[in-house]
Amino acid sequence: MRLTINGVPRDVPAGDHETLLAVIRERLQLTGTKEGCARGECGACTVLIDGRAAYSCLTLAAGCADSAVTTIEGLGRADALHPLQQAFIEQDALQCGFCTPGQLLAAAALIARTPRPSEDDVRVALSGNLCRCGTYPKLVRAVMQAAEMMRAEP
Amino acid sequence: MSAKRFVTTQVEVEGRVETKIVEMPSRSPEPWGDDADLHVVGLRAQRMDALEKVTGQARYTADVQLAGMLHAVVLRSPIARGQVTEIDFTAALALAGVSDVLTLGDVPGIRRDGVQLFDQRIHYAGQPLAAICAESADVAHRALGLVRMTYESEAPVSTPAQALATDAPKVKPNGNTPRNMPKVSKRGDVHAGLAAADVTITREYRTPVALHTAMEPHGAVAEWVGEQVTVYESTQGIFNTRADLAAEFKLPLSHVRVIKNYMGGGFGAKNGASTAAAIAVALSRKLERPVRCIWDREGEQLDAGNRPATIQRVTLGAKRDGTLTAIQLDATIPLGIGGWQGGPGKFYHEMYACENVETRETFVYMNTSAMSSFRAPGHTEGAFGLECALDALAHELHMDPLALRVHNHAARDQVQDRPYSLKRLRECYAQGAEQFGWEAHRASCAKQSSSSRLRRGVGVASQIWSAGGGPPAYATVRINPDGTIEVLTGAQDLGTGARTVFAQVAAETLGAKLGDCRTVLGDTERLPFASNSWGSITTASVAPAVRVAAEEARERLFEAASGMLGVEPDQLESRDSLITVLGEEKSLTFAQVGRKLGDVMIIGQGSRGPNPEKTAISAFAAQFAEVEVDVDTGRVRVLRIVSAHDSGRILNPTLAESQLEGGIIQGVGYALFEERVLDERLGLPMNPTSHDYKVPTIGDVPVIEAFFVAGSDVVANHVGVKGVAEPPIIPTAPAIANAVRCALGVECLEIPLTPWRVLGALQSS
Ligand code: FES
Ligand code: FES
Repeated sequence: MRLTINGVPRDVPAGDHETLLAVIRERLQLTGTKEGCARGECGACTVLIDGRAAYSCLTLAAGCADSAVTTIEGLGRADALHPLQQAFIEQDALQCGFCTPGQLLAAAALIARTPRPSEDDVRVALSGNLCRCGTYPKLVRAVMQAAEMMRAEP
Repeated sequence: MSAKRFVTTQVEVEGRVETKIVEMPSRSPEPWGDDADLHVVGLRAQRMDALEKVTGQARYTADVQLAGMLHAVVLRSPIARGQVTEIDFTAALALAGVSDVLTLGDVPGIRRDGVQLFDQRIHYAGQPLAAICAESADVAHRALGLVRMTYESEAPVSTPAQALATDAPKVKPNGNTPRNMPKVSKRGDVHAGLAAADVTITREYRTPVALHTAMEPHGAVAEWVGEQVTVYESTQGIFNTRADLAAEFKLPLSHVRVIKNYMGGGFGAKNGASTAAAIAVALSRKLERPVRCIWDREGEQLDAGNRPATIQRVTLGAKRDGTLTAIQLDATIPLGIGGWQGGPGKFYHEMYACENVETRETFVYMNTSAMSSFRAPGHTEGAFGLECALDALAHELHMDPLALRVHNHAARDQVQDRPYSLKRLRECYAQGAEQFGWEAHRASCAKQSSSSRLRRGVGVASQIWSAGGGPPAYATVRINPDGTIEVLTGAQDLGTGARTVFAQVAAETLGAKLGDCRTVLGDTERLPFASNSWGSITTASVAPAVRVAAEEARERLFEAASGMLGVEPDQLESRDSLITVLGEEKSLTFAQVGRKLGDVMIIGQGSRGPNPEKTAISAFAAQFAEVEVDVDTGRVRVLRIVSAHDSGRILNPTLAESQLEGGIIQGVGYALFEERVLDERLGLPMNPTSHDYKVPTIGDVPVIEAFFVAGSDVVANHVGVKGVAEPPIIPTAPAIANAVRCALGVECLEIPLTPWRVLGALQSS
């Protein structure tokens, strides 16, 4: 099947029953996307499908043929961070970091649709992304900061 | 004649006191006191591995992909007690891509929590019975669905009452409790203390089985090459894991290499070689291919440890003025099929001043999965009982619960009758109460209308936790020819920030730029020993070793530089990686010295010295909670938590505060939602998923103001640090329960405080 991941079209020999998460991680070896439950409960596998946040563990890869998929590897680069990544670092909105890729993409989807989010908007947008380390207070601050940084950008 | 190189010292980990041999460090630096002139230590420096984590480049265990790697999944028992009669793998093995199965005969002598791996006798639901290995995880999972199994099931032992009944079926060959139950511990005469009391209260508290629910499940990747095996494991202790696997597979320690670079949380459940690691190692040896074995979420919730439930019957006696005359605890702690005896009793012995204390703990085996350490094991449970009982006593005495706590402040460690290295709990009470607005809040709660639907309440609880760490721990500090610095130590960073704070200590000691320092952790083959990251001991154990190593390196660097500058080493000082001659213009950067030295390396070695003799080293905190309770629905909302902590010197306040917030949030979950629900007839956990087992989400988090009461603990160690990770969870549940009592005027004796429990308490009042 043909998938467009982070702007690059790729032909993947995957079965029709395989989830987007399995294809991204196991077949394409893009391991930044995490598996925390594989049953739509934790948000660690969150990616963007056509700009919307989605649990890749509940998404069939075959259904994404006509979509643009963004994973954490496509959000920003180490030498050109996305404002959200910058804000997460500055606010220390991560501890073990396992939930972090999913949090970042859920937040990216929020800011794309709501450039001026309230703190409650952030809570709603991230409510499907568990963080057992308890970075929640700093997640709120980081997303608010990133939204502001992005509004300030030309 | 030099002093002895090897001596012994006491180290306390999660309430267990051990005598350890310690190698005396090459030097014992002057402690960094409150007035020490420090530049890098104490900075709110950014987390060093944050970049890897926000870009998805940080490689966790399940992300390790090796050429030719196979994937193993585990067949688990669907029943809690019985006997497997037959497992038929024919159809599973016939599936294309399936490599092999691993069964009992492949893993002789490998045990977890006292149970033989793949035992066909079933001891608990979720017990591993076999593993299937395939070319992909997908195929392995499909093969699992093709396995046919028959078994005979028996009625399980699911409650302590069943386990302790005279005609109970045996859970373990030697009976349903460990030997010598109950475990009794006492000082003074509790009966005399109760007789001397003006007021006594008795309550029975219950706490639930709580599941760690780390976002990253247990797992390992193993690869045999020749006679050696390399194991990537999500573990809090690489050296413990190495020792476990070497013993189980009868290998020399040098033939087992354990690597853990990043891990997605542990919280106490990942302290040694996991079952997954044993399976991966055994399969990799058998099939001569790398093997990955990762628990799925259900396996993680069923079979990866838990905080055991407790039933705590508490009696307190006090004088009219609040002076405690007796503390008595009779507790039952169902461990499951195994685990260690981490009970609530110790908290009762050490939190408050009292001459007469007696605790009885009965640990019980049942047909459920084994307990394991979970963030402040024992104390988190014990604090719920004692801190709630203290509130009930305060109510009985018409005293402010905070005043009652301050009144019974323990000046010394009464368990071993010794002083504390430093105890700033009084400051925690004072500064926490001030920040919270304790007096004003209590007054306004007292005034609220008893007919309103939403009621506010405030509560307080205190905490103590041994947090001194200790030896052995080693570190190496290496200065490269370009002036960059590596700090090498076999410790782990669980998300705590250990990498960052060790670099800060090295940079401080060397007078180096923090940005030039990098910490390397998590590899048994390449790094000197450091112990498990458990019991909040990592920083207090390893940071002093890093400081010694860096001092040694600095001494060598200065000797080299002094020759180049034509002065004596003691005329030199350094800051921001620049070495200057005191009172002169001459200087050299670390890089300039390094370049001149070429490949002559500057290496410093450091070790952790002994703990001070006859001294208790503990972290303390006072925590305040404000809640709002809906009396119609029984829903409790935590509005605000203020937590004031004494953990000695704080190396990096930002990272330490992150840990406080995380601990408090886990405490909110423990207080309000988290509970493994067991079908007692079948012995089956009903909620082994992260949906049905409720951990806090971002919407459940109150306003949290967590801070440290300033002060270096120079008696504890020469860096002045104590542990941070576990203390914040200890007082959260009782502070919240006490706030609920304040709001409703009704005591809730059992957590989690789910709506139906709150409504039940309201109804029965
Ligand atoms: S892995 Fe997809 S929601 Fe948990
Ligand atoms: S940072 Fe560890 S789970 Fe979120």
